[in-house]
Amino acid sequence: MSEEFRLTDLEEMEAATERLLETGAKVGADSWQLRVKNQTPHCKFGEKGICCRICAMGPCRVTPKAPRGICGCDAAGIVGRNYLKFTAGGGATHSDHGREICRTLYESSADGAYKVKDPEKLKRIAGEWGVETEGKDIYDLAHEMAEKALMEYGKPFGTQNWIKRAPEHTQEIWHREEIAPRAIDREVASSLHMTHMGCSSKPEALIRQSLRMGLADGWGGSMCGTEFSDVLFGTPKPVDTEANLGVMVEENVNIVVHGHDPSLSEMVCEYADDPEMIAYAKSKGAKGITVSGVCCTSNEVAMRRGVPMAGNFLQQENVVLTGACELIVVDVQCIFPALGPLSKCFHTKFVTTSPIAQMPDSEFIRFSAKTAAENAKSIVKMAIDNFENRKPELVHIPQMKQKATVGYSVEALVKVLDGVCNTQVDTMGTTKPLIECITSGVIRGAVAMVGCNNPKIRPDKAHIELMKKLIANDIVIVASGCSAQAAAKAGLMDKRAKDLCGAGLKRVCELADIPPVLHMGSCVDISRMMILVAELAKDSGLKISQLPVVGCAPEWMSEKAVSIGNYVVATGIDTFLGVDPYASGSEEVEKLLTGGIRDWVEAAYTVETDIEKLVDKMIERIEEKRTAIGI
Amino acid sequence: MTLFDVVFKGNDAVYGLTESAINDAVAKYGEEKAVGFPDTAYCLPCYYSVTGVKVTNLKELKEALGVVKTLMTREQKLNDAFMSGVATALCAEFIEALKYIDGAAPYAEPYYGHLADAIIRELGVPLVTGDIPGVAVILGKAPTAEDAVALVKSYQAQGILVTMVGECIDQCQSLGLNMGYGVRVVPLGADVTSVIHVVSVALRAALIFGNVEPGDSASLMKYTMERVPAFVNAFAPLNEVIVACGAGAIALGFPVITNEETFRVPKSLIVQPDVSKFNATSLEARDIKIKITKIDIPVAFASAYEGEIVRRGDMQVEFDGSRVDCFELVHHKDMSEVEDHHFELIGPDFDEFPVGSKQSIGYIVEVAGKNMQADFEPVFERKFHSYINCIEGVMHTGQRDMIRIRISKATYEAGFRAKDLAEVLYARIKSEFDAVVDKCQVKIYTKAEDCTKLRHEMAIPMFDKRDERLSSLTDETVDVYYSCIMCQAFSPSHVCVVTPERLGLCGAVSWFDAKATNELDPAGPCQVITKERPINEEIGEYEDVNEAVRKFSQGALEDVSLYSIMEKPMTSCGCFECICGIEPFSNGVIITNREYAGMTPLGMTFSELASMTGGGVQTPGFMGHGKHFIASKKFMKAEGGVERIVWMPKELKDTVAEKLNATAKEVYGIDNFTDMIGDETIATDPETLVAFLTEKGHPALGMDPLM
Repeated sequence: MSEEFRLTDLEEMEAATERLLETGAKVGADSWQLRVKNQTPHCKFGEKGICCRICAMGPCRVTPKAPRGICGCDAAGIVGRNYLKFTAGGGATHSDHGREICRTLYESSADGAYKVKDPEKLKRIAGEWGVETEGKDIYDLAHEMAEKALMEYGKPFGTQNWIKRAPEHTQEIWHREEIAPRAIDREVASSLHMTHMGCSSKPEALIRQSLRMGLADGWGGSMCGTEFSDVLFGTPKPVDTEANLGVMVEENVNIVVHGHDPSLSEMVCEYADDPEMIAYAKSKGAKGITVSGVCCTSNEVAMRRGVPMAGNFLQQENVVLTGACELIVVDVQCIFPALGPLSKCFHTKFVTTSPIAQMPDSEFIRFSAKTAAENAKSIVKMAIDNFENRKPELVHIPQMKQKATVGYSVEALVKVLDGVCNTQVDTMGTTKPLIECITSGVIRGAVAMVGCNNPKIRPDKAHIELMKKLIANDIVIVASGCSAQAAAKAGLMDKRAKDLCGAGLKRVCELADIPPVLHMGSCVDISRMMILVAELAKDSGLKISQLPVVGCAPEWMSEKAVSIGNYVVATGIDTFLGVDPYASGSEEVEKLLTGGIRDWVEAAYTVETDIEKLVDKMIERIEEKRTAIGI
Repeated sequence: MTLFDVVFKGNDAVYGLTESAINDAVAKYGEEKAVGFPDTAYCLPCYYSVTGVKVTNLKELKEALGVVKTLMTREQKLNDAFMSGVATALCAEFIEALKYIDGAAPYAEPYYGHLADAIIRELGVPLVTGDIPGVAVILGKAPTAEDAVALVKSYQAQGILVTMVGECIDQCQSLGLNMGYGVRVVPLGADVTSVIHVVSVALRAALIFGNVEPGDSASLMKYTMERVPAFVNAFAPLNEVIVACGAGAIALGFPVITNEETFRVPKSLIVQPDVSKFNATSLEARDIKIKITKIDIPVAFASAYEGEIVRRGDMQVEFDGSRVDCFELVHHKDMSEVEDHHFELIGPDFDEFPVGSKQSIGYIVEVAGKNMQADFEPVFERKFHSYINCIEGVMHTGQRDMIRIRISKATYEAGFRAKDLAEVLYARIKSEFDAVVDKCQVKIYTKAEDCTKLRHEMAIPMFDKRDERLSSLTDETVDVYYSCIMCQAFSPSHVCVVTPERLGLCGAVSWFDAKATNELDPAGPCQVITKERPINEEIGEYEDVNEAVRKFSQGALEDVSLYSIMEKPMTSCGCFECICGIEPFSNGVIITNREYAGMTPLGMTFSELASMTGGGVQTPGFMGHGKHFIASKKFMKAEGGVERIVWMPKELKDTVAEKLNATAKEVYGIDNFTDMIGDETIATDPETLVAFLTEKGHPALGMDPLM
């Protein structure tokens, strides 16, 4: 008889964290909870986005009494510039991750560490890009495609290849509004150029470029990251895994992967499974090796290998606080510099690997595609060697975890949908079954839940509570990034969570054998969601903006999140934020973001820091969209 | 209008009709007037299953309507649409119930209307084994009468039980389609509300087999969705009422396939403009797999024909073992002695017999295989009845040398001859028992002298030898028993423990059957249970058995005894042939069987008694069992055995008399024990029964009280 299913609630998660912080206090460790206290209250000018320090005349901060900076820029200009700079930071980050993947693809070979695991997908993309595949060795094709993709970052003319995947109408909007993304690096550079002292201060221009920058990310760099990661490491398909700190195993050597780029974590997982390494771990007194993950690199290996997820962004310190983490290896993005000093309080090795993310108090093992195998092996070995240094009195792993089924790439979702088709009447390989569920009202709509944790919001509360209410209202959720991990930790990616849904979504989950919250991957993989809505629009004959679909980042914190928000809105999807994007200092910019841009791209932002209201507004918007198309 | 709005509109319309119908009835009969359906213990079955409340009179019916109204919420959510669909179904049940007031018989040929509990219990086993792979509900008017008939026949050929509502019935009738429960085509009624009679079957199945608590509507819907393989074919045009009923069907997990252009919902509401593809579309929608039984004979072969009767006037030829020498036999031989798929006819073929004549027949199926055992012979042989009956226009009754076979004129005219009979036996044995049968050949004898000789010199000695072996086989002489969970598809927590002296309670699985099933499919429904650690041999309790029962019931059952009906009795799935229950006035038990619809001295009918047990729960004092168990020495051995039996329906008593009398003679030295047992011609109340028992000196009266 299967054990009873129940969600893990916030109080339980917080109690577990409290217990870990007690260990932290014993060893004199710092924590984000303490640092938040030290940093509160935050600078109001910064919060409102009206602090300008892009030249050395300032810093300037505008007030009613001093409404302009020294150069004469007003609040709208300052807020707009800051917003664009923020976006450029995020877009550059995602896109550079994508670039690294393209470079890894370029290094792939039949007998090397990196192979092409999904040759069909590579050929499909080649077809889209007009590259001949007939009679070509798959690795020759891989190298050719990698080079072509790398050119997307610097192509002197034209727009991004990927945007042709969008519906005609969407592409028309992008060209009409002059936001069709050109070379990725150019959009980053142009953004930084526009925000230089003495360039743009007109909010419309700045926000328009923010959208274009975003599109260069979502329909450019991120899509490169996602698509070529699939080519290299396999396109995700449904796989069972587990989430939360309880996935760490006390008797085993625990290696935690953290960051975003799967090139490293894939290799670490590969070697942790190596019988030779397992035997070595046993020789050191461990029972085996457990790799678990934090943040998006965790999402990547969970989606493709079923590697368990130890936690999301604000749980990264907790894995060390268990005292059972032999080694935490990181690649890029969202890594707390605090991990260095924290690891010194325990036996934990903190290993940085990327020239992009170098930190004090870490061991730096420079990782490269060419030396990946030996790098990974030495990292795994280092972890095993460190097992004996554990301090047993400090070991406490909260026994808390949930089952999750993850791995819903667009390809996998279409396959799931094929499963509910009737071959006597339906065509296979489309999103039509989902559209039928939506138009008949069985499912009211879909919400893309994305984004990080942010101490401004009780961690995971917004993610979990929003999702619970949405699924109870027959709204299906696609999730990525730390939002997806919050769902998994709570149990919302367990198929049994169907019982928390309204009758409509429950029935769909039963028939399609899916959980109500579908894990679509890391934050780079929000590009998958763009492809999904594009397919839904094409298959239904509706505009993307007409679909009863919205996006939501209730606990976001990073620059990447703003870049994402911009491309999601620019793709025609209304986006709901639970944290203000430093824009409240200018009514003009705020109005533009929450209304004005709708005239350009048929969608806009809603910012609502009251989580209860945020979810109601989303449900309301979804119902409005239904009414508008008469379903 | 949204799909949900259509449902709401239809629901409102039916509710309005129901409200006025009930008011009219109250005005006419008064509030105290009894309402209910005949031959069911679950009145009104749908309302009772959904709410847990039994409605017995008009006053309660009116209150029930108030409850139904609370289901009719109007948010644009599937839950509201589902509940409105359920509300529509319940209203339909109320309207139908009103038709039965005062014991009226509102449905006449060809209509069936309400279906009795006994039919549901009968359907249990074939639904589980896949002999009835699904239940079709056809509604409305097909584009042409030919379309209607073609659709019904297509399901019939797959063994699917077809129920029909509305004009499709007239269409089938107009083309002379043979309809009726016997051929698995059940016309329910002309009004759309009559569809409730098949819904009622599905919901009662959940109570009977699933042990679903009446009123637990969530479990009810889960059960029907996961375990009742029904679907709806609704012909265009669909009005709001049909859509509302459809919502109810979909709520229960039954997909609706229609040729009307409307909203589409995957696996639930499927638009198939081409009605000739309804069959394939429906089976796929409900995930129904049809066992391929394509056999090369000139007529159809399908389980739907199993209950078909060939009347004397329609008969080309008859083989009657009660008048002339006939027999059927499986005989296992060495591999070298059998030529696979060889057929030999010794004697004249069917076309040489005068029309309507009575003839002799003997057929021997010779099998060989590395894993074949003599013990399997009777197992295969018992299947002949079902195989031959599945041939369109052929009827088979009895077994061994007491068989009767009739071949209809139509089937004969289609070209059916002796070789086709052999082909059916060959094909079925080979497909069903491929794990042990490598080679199979069939010999048919039709000369009277051959049949006489072979019957007496070969068949009867073999039967006697088997009987001898079987009767020497007791619970004590074997090392292992078998579990049987064939019914778990339907009754998820029930486990039968099959022993030589206690066959499965469905009557269909003997110890040999279970053994063969286990050997044919070691991972299948029958598993070996050791009996090495007895706890109490008197009541038949073993640690090994308890462990097995716990495991196979997924923890639902803790422990069982094999020989007691009072202490930890074995559970019942719901498809049992008979039920026994204690009769306190006489210290005895009464037994009644599925076929007997009348009253018992316990004041309850078979249906009512059966409704108290079943669903895989232990009910001390009541137990479901097979007919053959009655004469077993292990029949409630812990409580004193067969001498506790004080009452049985006459027909059942006659069936088991010979063996039961033998057991009573052997164990207690009582002659003609069955003469002491009451039946419905003697008593259907305890006082008269006790008087009769006293007069006959029935031993139960002097035994220790059961309670």
